[in-house]
Amino acid sequence: MDHIRNFCIIAHIDHGKSTLADRLLERTGRVTARQMVTDQILDDNPLEQERGITIKLHAVQMDYTARNGRTYTLNLIDTPGHVDFSYEVSRSLAACEGALLVVDATQGVEAQTISNLYLAVDAGLEIIPVINKIDLPAAETMLESVIAQVIDLIGCKREEIILASAKAGIGVDDILEAVVARIPPPKGNPDAPLRALIYDSLYDPYRGVVVNVRIFDGTLREKDSVLFMATGQVYQVDEVGVLYMEQHRTGELSAGNVGYFTASIRRVRDTKVGDTVTHAQRPCSEPIAGFREVKPMVFSGIYPADSDDFEDLRDALEKLALNDAAIHYEPETSAALGFGFRCGFLGLLHMEIVQERLEREFGQTIVTTVPNVRYLVRRTDGTEQWVENPAQMPEPVKIAEILEPYIRAQIITPTEYLGPIMQLCIERRGTVLGQHYLTQTRVDLSVELPLAEVVFDFYDKLKSISRGYASLDYEYSDYKPGDLVKLDILLNGDPVDALSTIVHRQKAYEWGRRLCSKLKKLIPRHLFEVVIQAAIGSKIIARDSIAPLRKNVLAKCYGGDVTRKRKLLEKQKEGKKRMKQIGRVEVPQEAFLAVLRLGDES
Amino acid sequence: MKRSIGLYVHIPFCQHKCSYCDFYSVVSLEAMERFTETIVKEIRLWAQQEQLDATVETIFWGGGTPSLLECTQAEQIASALRSVFSLAPSYEWTIEANPGTVTLEKLRYYRELGINRISFGVQSFDHRELEFLERIHSAQQAEEAVELARRAGFNNVNLDVIYALPGQDLETYQRTLERVCALAPEHISAYSLVYEHGTPLYRQLQRGAIIPLDEDQEAAFYSKTVEFLAQRGYRQYEVSNFARPGRQCRHNLLYWRRGQYVGFGPSAHSHVDNIRWSNVRSLRRYFDAIERGSLPIVAREHLTIEQQRAESIFLGLRADGIELDAFARAYGVWLDRGMLGDMITEWQQKGWACLDGRRLHLTSRGYALCDALTLQLLDALERAQSASGSFVDCNV
Repeated sequence: MDHIRNFCIIAHIDHGKSTLADRLLERTGRVTARQMVTDQILDDNPLEQERGITIKLHAVQMDYTARNGRTYTLNLIDTPGHVDFSYEVSRSLAACEGALLVVDATQGVEAQTISNLYLAVDAGLEIIPVINKIDLPAAETMLESVIAQVIDLIGCKREEIILASAKAGIGVDDILEAVVARIPPPKGNPDAPLRALIYDSLYDPYRGVVVNVRIFDGTLREKDSVLFMATGQVYQVDEVGVLYMEQHRTGELSAGNVGYFTASIRRVRDTKVGDTVTHAQRPCSEPIAGFREVKPMVFSGIYPADSDDFEDLRDALEKLALNDAAIHYEPETSAALGFGFRCGFLGLLHMEIVQERLEREFGQTIVTTVPNVRYLVRRTDGTEQWVENPAQMPEPVKIAEILEPYIRAQIITPTEYLGPIMQLCIERRGTVLGQHYLTQTRVDLSVELPLAEVVFDFYDKLKSISRGYASLDYEYSDYKPGDLVKLDILLNGDPVDALSTIVHRQKAYEWGRRLCSKLKKLIPRHLFEVVIQAAIGSKIIARDSIAPLRKNVLAKCYGGDVTRKRKLLEKQKEGKKRMKQIGRVEVPQEAFLAVLRLGDES
Repeated sequence: MKRSIGLYVHIPFCQHKCSYCDFYSVVSLEAMERFTETIVKEIRLWAQQEQLDATVETIFWGGGTPSLLECTQAEQIASALRSVFSLAPSYEWTIEANPGTVTLEKLRYYRELGINRISFGVQSFDHRELEFLERIHSAQQAEEAVELARRAGFNNVNLDVIYALPGQDLETYQRTLERVCALAPEHISAYSLVYEHGTPLYRQLQRGAIIPLDEDQEAAFYSKTVEFLAQRGYRQYEVSNFARPGRQCRHNLLYWRRGQYVGFGPSAHSHVDNIRWSNVRSLRRYFDAIERGSLPIVAREHLTIEQQRAESIFLGLRADGIELDAFARAYGVWLDRGMLGDMITEWQQKGWACLDGRRLHLTSRGYALCDALTLQLLDALERAQSASGSFVDCNV
């Protein structure tokens, strides 16, 4: 056990985490240069590579012979790089004894780095600061200030910081030596009752779920009968091993080590990240602390574009959920969109990932409704109700109070953008909790915001007003009452459930007016006048109308070429089929996301 | 009983391609002689293969620019047609002509061949508009051409007009209509400009070089057309066609009533016994096929009953209507009963349609919305059918 080191890398997007990981693998001979087909091995999901972020966790074991002549087993546990997955980050940190803190020499410390660093410090990890990309020309002027930021942040000594360039291979040996020398070996008793932490799991179509674990105590062997303490499920272990670049079967795994097992588990959902695995016959007395049920924070309706494809969409969601434990979905019916699903996501990125996977991997054409958060409604009769779909909000007279979720956001920005960013936060009903100057030109702003206000384009706005320099990270705080109302949209008097939104009362009028005018542009003219209204309860707060068609005929009939005319009509008929029918009004699918694009106009 | 048919002849030559036109033609006139010989062969070949026992009620020579044909060339084609088809005594025979290409001599010759109707592509009497449309003639030439046609003995004349051009105003358009009517044609085709894919005009539109009129402006031009021509005694009998009583174009009515016709020349279309086919849209491949001894047909489809029904609706609505009893006999659906009947009643209440005896036809306001109404009726038919499981009300 003295020869094992478990560690992870904490870094902001693009600060070189994946490149550094690749370099470590190469240096320890885990991969040859020839195997490095794609530049960054750990991000093996195409979506991850495209976005430059890691969604799923990976781990890899390396053997390293240190300068002292001894050979160590190093387990590098990768962490996802997005706030939506911060719980997963905390669980993978719990599997480690140390962390490399990687900061870009040309960029400095970012919000995400800080929040993950705090998680690591809280977990009691040994932090090894690394400043990466020191070979870039821009590093010359920035380096001193970045060093100062890092010292200020973790209170380390200057000589403890390793200067590196993963790309150029500079400092890689120093990093490996520091891992061996500074990170403590794991503790634990191989003979005690089994205590293993699930920090990740992935779906394998042939063997079922592959569970990634860190063993704290005891030894896990094949054919063992194991108990998942949070779910109470018992499984028989089929295969145990460690993770090289691929799974490497070893038959057993003991205290201090990191590896995987399979046990013919059908769905990823049955293995909850953070759960403790123990022996069914000789269970440990206490599970590992920190387990939490992951709850979806953002909800949206997902409907098939063609209502005939409902069953296909159900199949696709089922398959997708096999390796995405975080997605929640249940069938719902919308008067406007027909049969579909209300889906819950960890956050906006997670939502986008699911939508993209449905379209790309599963070939579905979907209509998604505007995302919303989960509200807690206190009724006048004293009961409480969770509302995940604005259409299900009770009538205003039955509502005593609506509570909405808040987040605590951390924004790090160059000081020149501080004013506009504060203004943005205030527009979004935020409260500034504090600000802290990291350097003379960079400030760390702490803001409390309703999650609902962040769900719409907040991140895009933040990026655009700071020219991409501000970074954002957040954690969920608690529910607070808000002066919220349900805004309905009616087309010729018929409410469109899929267009209902919950908004702050003061914003409702402006919102309603803009929504009406946006819909006016998106809905085609009909044979009759289409009246668009925005309403709170029975009170109409905005109105617009689409004049009836005046001319809709092609002047020419192409002489004897009747077929051409028939084909034109068939095409038009197809176009109409793709629209959704509200009463007699035909609504194009893009209208259902109109709310999201309201920002374009102001 | 002998069947009645129409004949179409496509003359694919132009001196210059107009910016809006997407009918098939070439601007090189070299091949006209070879074309004449070939189309004569095509007509003979077709007659030999098909042995269709029919009386020809109408002939239409379109293009392209048929008036570019030399007299001898026109004569060869006319003889070929007469040698294989029998012409009804009261036939209608139209030739399309560009005002810049006719002489009194040529026009007299056309009359001698038996051509009794002439259609001039006048389009506009505003010289800037003519330039924009890339017409090869002037406003004055158009007036002279009509004058010559009258002197040659044409007592059935059509003038084509195009309106709703980018930047056009209603006053300029009214002046064009006034000059058109001053020439007292028997028939007027007034088309709202269509930006056809693949035309120079379409490319200008894509580039943003021209701004099309919006729907409301176009509607105003349409209303102007209908009102102006009605006042001068021209009755609208199709979306874009107007005629003095009894002077509707019989050949076009044949198209719109799902009549039977045979087309010759490249890109010509035909319809016989619910089979539609078309000739190849390339002069070279047209020559190749016929010189090899085969017909230049590229697309042939046998219409299903649903397609026939759809045709009856979209053609009937845009022209002189749908005979409800005949429609019910052919397709087993009463358009004036049940859900469909309610819709037709609503159309009448809104002033879009009329019932003339047992004939349902659109009004001028209805023609303006013809495509939307057609889609609505087709959609309602489909739903009525799926509700009843098959054709409804079959007891005709």
